[in-house]
Amino acid sequence: MNEMEREDELIAKASRLATEISPERDLWPGIEEAMLRPQRSRWTPRFAQAAAVLLLVGASSGLTWLSTKDRVQVIEVVPAGLTVEQASFGGRYALGVGYQEARRDLEAQLETELARLSPEAREEVELNLAMIRGAIGQINEALAEEPDNPLLQELLLQTYKEELALMQRVGGLTQHVMSRRDI
Amino acid sequence: MEALLTPNFSDYSPSMAVFNESAITDEAGWIARAQQADAGAFEKLYRMHIDKVYGLCLRMTGNVAEAEDCAQEAFIQAWNKLDRFRGDSAFATWLHRIAVNSVLGRMRKSKREQDRIHAVGEALESPVADADTGEMRDLAKAVDRLPEGARHVFVLYAVYGYSHEEAGDMLGIAPGTSKAQLHRARRLLAQQLTKEGFET
Repeated sequence: MNEMEREDELIAKASRLATEISPERDLWPGIEEAMLRPQRSRWTPRFAQAAAVLLLVGASSGLTWLSTKDRVQVIEVVPAGLTVEQASFGGRYALGVGYQEARRDLEAQLETELARLSPEAREEVELNLAMIRGAIGQINEALAEEPDNPLLQELLLQTYKEELALMQRVGGLTQHVMSRRDI
Repeated sequence: MEALLTPNFSDYSPSMAVFNESAITDEAGWIARAQQADAGAFEKLYRMHIDKVYGLCLRMTGNVAEAEDCAQEAFIQAWNKLDRFRGDSAFATWLHRIAVNSVLGRMRKSKREQDRIHAVGEALESPVADADTGEMRDLAKAVDRLPEGARHVFVLYAVYGYSHEEAGDMLGIAPGTSKAQLHRARRLLAQQLTKEGFET
Protein backbone atom coordinates (compact mmCIF):
# COMPACT_ATOMS: atom_id res chain seq x y z
CA MET A 1 0.00 0.00 0.00
CA ASN A 2 1.57 3.30 -1.04
CA GLU A 3 1.38 6.54 0.91
CA MET A 4 -1.62 7.89 -0.96
CA GLU A 5 -3.55 4.67 -0.49
CA ARG A 6 -2.74 4.65 3.20
CA GLU A 7 -4.06 8.18 3.55
CA ASP A 8 -7.23 7.33 1.64
CA GLU A 9 -7.70 4.34 3.89
CA LEU A 10 -7.50 6.70 6.86
CA ILE A 11 -10.37 8.76 5.53
CA ALA A 12 -12.46 5.65 4.95
CA LYS A 13 -11.66 4.45 8.44
CA ALA A 14 -12.49 7.81 9.96
CA SER A 15 -15.99 7.66 8.54
CA ARG A 16 -16.55 4.67 10.83
CA LEU A 17 -15.70 6.64 13.97
CA ALA A 18 -18.67 7.21 16.24
CA THR A 19 -20.55 10.38 15.32
CA GLU A 20 -23.04 10.11 18.15
CA ILE A 21 -21.64 10.24 21.65
CA SER A 22 -23.81 10.54 24.72
CA PRO A 23 -22.69 13.10 27.29
CA GLU A 24 -21.93 11.68 30.71
CA ARG A 25 -24.59 13.89 32.28
CA ASP A 26 -27.92 15.28 31.19
CA LEU A 27 -27.26 18.75 29.77
CA TRP A 28 -30.93 19.67 29.45
CA PRO A 29 -31.44 21.24 32.93
CA GLY A 30 -28.75 23.84 32.21
CA ILE A 31 -30.24 24.56 28.80
CA GLU A 32 -33.76 24.86 30.18
CA GLU A 33 -32.55 27.20 32.91
CA ALA A 34 -30.96 29.47 30.31
CA MET A 35 -34.11 29.35 28.20
CA LEU A 36 -36.23 30.44 31.14
CA ARG A 37 -33.91 33.33 31.89
CA PRO A 38 -35.44 36.46 30.38
CA GLN A 39 -33.32 38.02 27.71
CA ARG A 40 -32.73 41.67 28.17
CA SER A 41 -30.71 42.80 25.24
CA ARG A 42 -31.06 46.47 24.47
CA TRP A 43 -29.39 45.87 21.13
CA THR A 44 -32.41 44.58 19.27
CA PRO A 45 -31.76 43.97 15.56
CA ARG A 46 -33.76 47.04 14.57
CA PHE A 47 -31.94 49.16 17.13
CA ALA A 48 -28.57 47.94 15.91
CA GLN A 49 -29.65 48.64 12.32
CA ALA A 50 -30.75 52.15 13.21
CA ALA A 51 -27.51 52.79 15.07
CA ALA A 52 -25.50 51.55 12.10
CA VAL A 53 -27.42 53.84 9.76
CA LEU A 54 -26.84 56.78 12.06
CA LEU A 55 -23.13 56.02 12.24
CA LEU A 56 -22.98 55.86 8.47
CA VAL A 57 -24.95 59.07 8.15
CA GLY A 58 -22.68 60.83 10.63
CA ALA A 59 -19.57 59.84 8.75
CA SER A 60 -21.11 60.57 5.38
CA SER A 61 -22.52 63.96 6.29
CA GLY A 62 -19.17 64.88 7.80
CA LEU A 63 -17.49 64.09 4.52
CA THR A 64 -20.16 66.04 2.67
CA TRP A 65 -19.48 68.97 4.91
CA LEU A 66 -15.78 68.78 4.26
CA SER A 67 -16.32 68.55 0.54
CA THR A 68 -18.82 71.40 0.33
CA LYS A 69 -17.66 73.86 2.94
CA ASP A 70 -15.39 75.71 0.56
CA ARG A 71 -18.13 76.10 -1.99
CA VAL A 72 -20.92 77.26 0.28
CA GLN A 73 -20.85 80.41 2.29
CA VAL A 74 -21.87 79.32 5.74
CA ILE A 75 -23.13 81.89 8.15
CA GLU A 76 -23.43 80.69 11.69
CA VAL A 77 -25.76 82.71 13.85
CA VAL A 78 -26.27 81.86 17.48
CA PRO A 79 -29.34 83.44 19.07
CA ALA A 80 -28.51 85.77 21.93
CA GLY A 81 -30.71 84.01 24.44
CA LEU A 82 -29.65 80.51 23.57
CA THR A 83 -30.16 77.92 26.24
CA VAL A 84 -30.03 74.20 25.77
CA GLU A 85 -32.60 72.76 28.04
CA GLN A 86 -32.06 69.47 29.78
CA ALA A 87 -35.20 67.43 29.81
CA SER A 88 -36.04 63.84 30.40
CA PHE A 89 -37.34 61.85 27.48
CA GLY A 90 -40.76 60.40 27.95
CA GLY A 91 -42.95 58.26 25.84
CA ARG A 92 -43.95 60.97 23.34
CA TYR A 93 -41.97 61.55 20.21
CA ALA A 94 -43.87 64.17 18.25
CA LEU A 95 -41.61 66.91 17.01
CA GLY A 96 -41.59 69.94 19.26
CA VAL A 97 -42.58 73.39 18.03
CA GLY A 98 -39.06 74.77 18.22
CA TYR A 99 -37.66 71.97 16.14
CA GLN A 100 -40.45 72.16 13.61
CA GLU A 101 -39.90 75.89 13.12
CA ALA A 102 -36.16 75.46 12.68
CA ARG A 103 -36.70 72.62 10.29
CA ARG A 104 -39.28 74.55 8.26
CA ASP A 105 -36.97 77.53 7.95
CA LEU A 106 -34.06 75.40 6.90
CA GLU A 107 -36.14 73.41 4.44
CA ALA A 108 -37.22 76.66 2.81
CA GLN A 109 -33.61 77.76 2.41
CA LEU A 110 -32.29 74.36 1.48
CA GLU A 111 -33.51 74.32 -2.10
CA THR A 112 -31.93 77.72 -2.76
CA GLU A 113 -28.66 76.71 -1.18
CA LEU A 114 -28.59 73.36 -2.94
CA ALA A 115 -28.96 75.12 -6.26
CA ARG A 116 -25.63 76.81 -5.64
CA LEU A 117 -23.83 73.51 -5.23
CA SER A 118 -22.29 71.45 -7.96
CA PRO A 119 -24.48 68.55 -9.15
CA GLU A 120 -22.17 66.08 -7.39
CA ALA A 121 -22.24 67.94 -4.09
CA ARG A 122 -26.00 68.41 -4.35
CA GLU A 123 -26.50 64.72 -4.97
CA GLU A 124 -24.34 63.88 -1.99
CA VAL A 125 -26.26 66.20 0.31
CA GLU A 126 -29.59 64.84 -0.89
CA LEU A 127 -28.37 61.30 -0.39
CA ASN A 128 -27.30 62.08 3.16
CA LEU A 129 -30.60 63.69 3.95
CA ALA A 130 -32.45 60.69 2.59
CA MET A 131 -30.34 58.40 4.76
CA ILE A 132 -30.97 60.49 7.84
CA ARG A 133 -34.70 60.53 7.21
CA GLY A 134 -34.66 56.80 6.62
CA ALA A 135 -32.88 56.36 9.94
CA ILE A 136 -35.45 58.54 11.68
CA GLY A 137 -38.19 56.34 10.26
CA GLN A 138 -36.47 53.17 11.44
CA ILE A 139 -35.81 54.50 14.91
CA ASN A 140 -39.41 55.64 15.23
CA GLU A 141 -40.55 52.16 14.25
CA ALA A 142 -38.26 50.68 16.87
CA LEU A 143 -39.58 53.14 19.44
CA ALA A 144 -43.10 52.04 18.68
CA GLU A 145 -42.04 48.64 20.02
CA GLU A 146 -39.85 49.89 22.81
CA PRO A 147 -41.20 53.35 23.68
CA ASP A 148 -39.22 53.67 26.89
CA ASN A 149 -35.87 52.55 25.57
CA PRO A 150 -33.53 55.41 26.53
CA LEU A 151 -30.91 54.42 23.97
CA LEU A 152 -33.44 54.57 21.16
CA GLN A 153 -34.65 57.91 22.43
CA GLU A 154 -31.12 59.24 22.49
CA LEU A 155 -30.51 57.82 19.04
CA LEU A 156 -33.63 59.57 17.73
CA LEU A 157 -32.51 62.85 19.23
CA GLN A 158 -29.06 62.49 17.72
CA THR A 159 -30.54 61.68 14.33
CA TYR A 160 -32.81 64.71 14.37
CA LYS A 161 -29.80 66.80 15.37
CA GLU A 162 -27.87 65.27 12.52
CA GLU A 163 -30.60 66.25 10.07
CA LEU A 164 -30.78 69.76 11.44
CA ALA A 165 -26.99 70.13 11.44
CA LEU A 166 -26.71 69.01 7.85
CA MET A 167 -29.37 71.42 6.70
CA GLN A 168 -27.74 74.12 8.80
CA ARG A 169 -24.37 73.50 7.23
CA VAL A 170 -25.83 73.76 3.79
CA GLY A 171 -28.35 76.46 4.51
CA GLY A 172 -26.21 78.60 6.70
CA LEU A 173 -28.24 79.56 9.69
CA THR A 174 -31.02 78.70 12.02
CA GLN A 175 -32.69 80.64 14.73
CA HIS A 176 -33.55 77.68 16.83
CA VAL A 177 -31.66 75.05 18.64
CA MET A 178 -33.31 71.80 19.42
CA SER A 179 -33.42 70.35 22.89
CA ARG A 180 -34.67 66.99 24.07
CA ARG A 181 -37.99 68.57 24.96
CA ASP A 182 -38.51 69.55 21.36
CA ILE A 183 -38.84 66.01 20.17
CA MET B 1 -42.48 45.55 12.21
CA GLU B 2 -40.53 42.35 12.05
CA ALA B 3 -41.02 39.80 14.75
CA LEU B 4 -38.58 39.64 17.60
CA LEU B 5 -35.96 37.02 16.94
CA THR B 6 -36.25 35.48 20.33
CA PRO B 7 -39.35 33.48 21.14
CA ASN B 8 -41.21 34.93 24.07
CA PHE B 9 -40.56 32.42 26.76
CA SER B 10 -41.15 34.50 29.84
CA ASP B 11 -44.50 32.89 30.59
CA TYR B 12 -43.32 29.34 30.19
CA SER B 13 -43.26 26.89 33.02
CA PRO B 14 -42.36 23.22 32.66
CA SER B 15 -45.85 22.21 33.74
CA MET B 16 -47.20 23.91 30.62
CA ALA B 17 -45.32 21.55 28.36
CA VAL B 18 -48.37 19.41 27.76
CA PHE B 19 -48.83 18.27 24.22
CA ASN B 20 -50.13 15.32 22.37
CA GLU B 21 -46.99 13.40 21.47
CA SER B 22 -48.80 11.08 19.13
CA ALA B 23 -49.93 14.05 17.08
CA ILE B 24 -46.36 15.04 16.38
CA THR B 25 -44.47 12.19 14.87
CA ASP B 26 -41.89 13.89 12.75
CA GLU B 27 -39.07 16.29 13.40
CA ALA B 28 -40.71 19.06 11.40
CA GLY B 29 -43.63 18.96 13.77
CA TRP B 30 -41.42 19.34 16.80
CA ILE B 31 -39.57 22.18 15.13
CA ALA B 32 -42.82 23.97 14.33
CA ARG B 33 -43.97 23.59 17.92
CA ALA B 34 -40.63 24.76 19.27
CA GLN B 35 -40.77 27.78 17.00
CA GLN B 36 -43.95 28.71 18.81
CA ALA B 37 -41.89 28.82 22.04
CA ASP B 38 -42.95 25.33 23.10
CA ALA B 39 -40.08 24.30 25.34
CA GLY B 40 -41.36 20.75 25.62
CA ALA B 41 -41.05 20.37 21.86
CA PHE B 42 -37.56 21.84 21.99
CA GLU B 43 -36.60 19.34 24.67
CA LYS B 44 -37.75 16.61 22.31
CA LEU B 45 -35.47 18.05 19.63
CA TYR B 46 -32.67 18.18 22.17
CA ARG B 47 -33.13 14.50 23.01
CA MET B 48 -33.14 13.65 19.31
CA HIS B 49 -29.94 15.54 18.50
CA ILE B 50 -27.83 15.86 21.64
CA ASP B 51 -25.63 12.85 20.91
CA LYS B 52 -24.68 14.14 17.49
CA VAL B 53 -24.08 17.66 18.72
CA TYR B 54 -22.13 16.53 21.76
CA GLY B 55 -20.16 14.07 19.64
CA LEU B 56 -19.13 16.82 17.28
CA CYS B 57 -18.22 19.14 20.14
CA LEU B 58 -16.20 16.41 21.86
CA ARG B 59 -14.32 15.49 18.70
CA MET B 60 -13.57 19.13 17.98
CA THR B 61 -12.53 20.13 21.49
CA GLY B 62 -11.20 16.83 22.83
CA ASN B 63 -12.32 17.88 26.28
CA VAL B 64 -15.41 16.64 28.12
CA ALA B 65 -16.09 19.85 30.05
CA GLU B 66 -15.57 22.03 26.99
CA ALA B 67 -17.74 19.77 24.89
CA GLU B 68 -20.54 19.88 27.45
CA ASP B 69 -20.38 23.67 27.59
CA CYS B 70 -20.31 23.93 23.80
CA ALA B 71 -23.24 21.56 23.38
CA GLN B 72 -25.28 23.45 25.95
CA GLU B 73 -24.40 26.76 24.37
CA ALA B 74 -25.31 25.41 20.95
CA PHE B 75 -28.79 24.37 22.06
CA ILE B 76 -29.36 27.67 23.88
CA GLN B 77 -28.36 29.56 20.75
CA ALA B 78 -30.53 27.28 18.65
CA TRP B 79 -33.50 28.10 20.88
CA ASN B 80 -32.80 31.81 20.57
CA LYS B 81 -32.43 31.61 16.79
CA LEU B 82 -35.11 29.07 16.14
CA ASP B 83 -37.39 31.44 14.26
CA ARG B 84 -34.59 31.93 11.73
CA PHE B 85 -34.58 28.23 10.86
CA ARG B 86 -36.40 28.02 7.54
CA GLY B 87 -35.65 24.41 6.68
CA ASP B 88 -33.20 25.30 3.92
CA SER B 89 -30.88 22.68 5.39
CA ALA B 90 -31.52 19.69 7.62
CA PHE B 91 -32.14 20.64 11.24
CA ALA B 92 -29.15 18.50 12.26
CA THR B 93 -26.91 20.42 9.87
CA TRP B 94 -28.25 23.71 11.19
CA LEU B 95 -27.52 22.56 14.74
CA HIS B 96 -24.04 21.43 13.71
CA ARG B 97 -23.28 24.86 12.28
CA ILE B 98 -24.27 26.47 15.56
CA ALA B 99 -22.23 23.92 17.50
CA VAL B 100 -19.15 24.55 15.36
CA ASN B 101 -19.56 28.29 15.92
CA SER B 102 -19.85 27.65 19.62
CA VAL B 103 -16.65 25.58 19.62
CA LEU B 104 -14.74 28.14 17.59
CA GLY B 105 -16.02 31.01 19.73
CA ARG B 106 -14.94 29.34 22.94
CA MET B 107 -11.56 28.43 21.57
CA ARG B 108 -10.93 31.97 20.45
CA LYS B 109 -11.80 33.25 23.88
CA SER B 110 -9.50 31.02 25.84
CA LYS B 111 -6.09 29.51 25.74
CA ARG B 112 -7.46 26.21 26.87
CA GLU B 113 -6.76 24.80 23.44
CA GLN B 114 -3.04 25.07 24.01
CA ASP B 115 -3.44 23.55 27.45
CA ARG B 116 -5.54 20.80 25.93
CA ILE B 117 -2.91 19.91 23.37
CA HIS B 118 -0.30 19.48 26.09
CA ALA B 119 -2.69 17.49 28.23
CA VAL B 120 -3.65 15.19 25.37
CA GLY B 121 -0.03 14.73 24.44
CA GLU B 122 0.73 13.54 27.92
CA ALA B 123 -2.36 11.48 28.50
CA LEU B 124 -2.52 7.84 27.59
CA GLU B 125 -6.25 7.89 27.02
CA SER B 126 -8.41 10.62 25.60
CA PRO B 127 -12.09 11.07 26.33
CA VAL B 128 -12.77 11.03 22.61
CA ALA B 129 -11.28 7.56 22.20
CA ASP B 130 -13.62 6.21 24.88
CA ALA B 131 -16.46 6.55 22.41
CA ASP B 132 -14.81 4.16 19.98
CA THR B 133 -13.86 0.53 20.18
CA GLY B 134 -11.01 -1.62 19.04
CA GLU B 135 -8.74 -0.35 16.33
CA MET B 136 -10.83 2.77 15.94
CA ARG B 137 -9.56 3.95 19.31
CA ASP B 138 -6.06 4.40 17.96
CA LEU B 139 -7.35 6.50 15.11
CA ALA B 140 -9.56 8.54 17.46
CA LYS B 141 -6.58 9.25 19.72
CA ALA B 142 -4.46 10.23 16.75
CA VAL B 143 -7.17 12.57 15.45
CA ASP B 144 -7.40 14.09 18.90
CA ARG B 145 -3.68 14.96 18.76
CA LEU B 146 -3.95 16.81 15.46
CA PRO B 147 -3.39 20.57 15.45
CA GLU B 148 -6.61 22.53 15.79
CA GLY B 149 -7.16 23.58 12.16
CA ALA B 150 -6.37 20.16 10.74
CA ARG B 151 -8.45 18.43 13.39
CA HIS B 152 -11.52 20.56 12.78
CA VAL B 153 -11.46 19.94 9.05
CA PHE B 154 -10.75 16.25 9.47
CA VAL B 155 -13.62 15.81 11.92
CA LEU B 156 -16.12 17.65 9.73
CA TYR B 157 -15.00 16.13 6.43
CA ALA B 158 -13.88 12.62 7.27
CA VAL B 159 -15.94 11.80 10.35
CA TYR B 160 -19.17 13.74 9.75
CA GLY B 161 -19.09 13.63 5.96
CA TYR B 162 -19.39 17.32 5.16
CA SER B 163 -17.99 18.57 1.87
CA HIS B 164 -15.07 21.00 1.77
CA GLU B 165 -17.52 23.75 0.86
CA GLU B 166 -19.70 22.96 3.86
CA ALA B 167 -16.78 22.47 6.24
CA GLY B 168 -15.17 25.68 5.01
CA ASP B 169 -18.42 27.54 5.43
CA MET B 170 -18.82 26.28 8.99
CA LEU B 171 -15.24 27.06 9.92
CA GLY B 172 -15.07 30.39 8.13
CA ILE B 173 -12.30 29.27 5.77
CA ALA B 174 -12.11 28.83 1.99
CA PRO B 175 -12.79 25.38 0.53
CA GLY B 176 -9.20 25.35 -0.70
CA THR B 177 -7.95 25.92 2.83
CA SER B 178 -10.16 23.09 4.01
CA LYS B 179 -8.58 20.80 1.40
CA ALA B 180 -5.11 21.87 2.46
CA GLN B 181 -5.92 21.23 6.11
CA LEU B 182 -7.32 17.81 5.26
CA HIS B 183 -4.16 16.95 3.34
CA ARG B 184 -2.13 18.04 6.33
CA ALA B 185 -4.30 16.00 8.68
CA ARG B 186 -3.98 12.89 6.54
CA ARG B 187 -0.21 13.11 6.41
CA LEU B 188 0.12 13.80 10.12
CA LEU B 189 -2.20 10.94 10.99
CA ALA B 190 -0.40 8.52 8.70
CA GLN B 191 2.96 9.53 10.18
CA GLN B 192 1.67 9.30 13.72
CA LEU B 193 0.05 5.92 13.31
CA THR B 194 3.04 4.48 11.48
CA LYS B 195 5.39 5.79 14.15
CA GLU B 196 3.32 4.13 16.84
CA GLY B 197 3.25 0.91 14.90
CA PHE B 198 -0.45 0.86 14.10
CA GLU B 199 -1.76 -0.46 10.84
CA THR B 200 -3.74 2.05 8.85
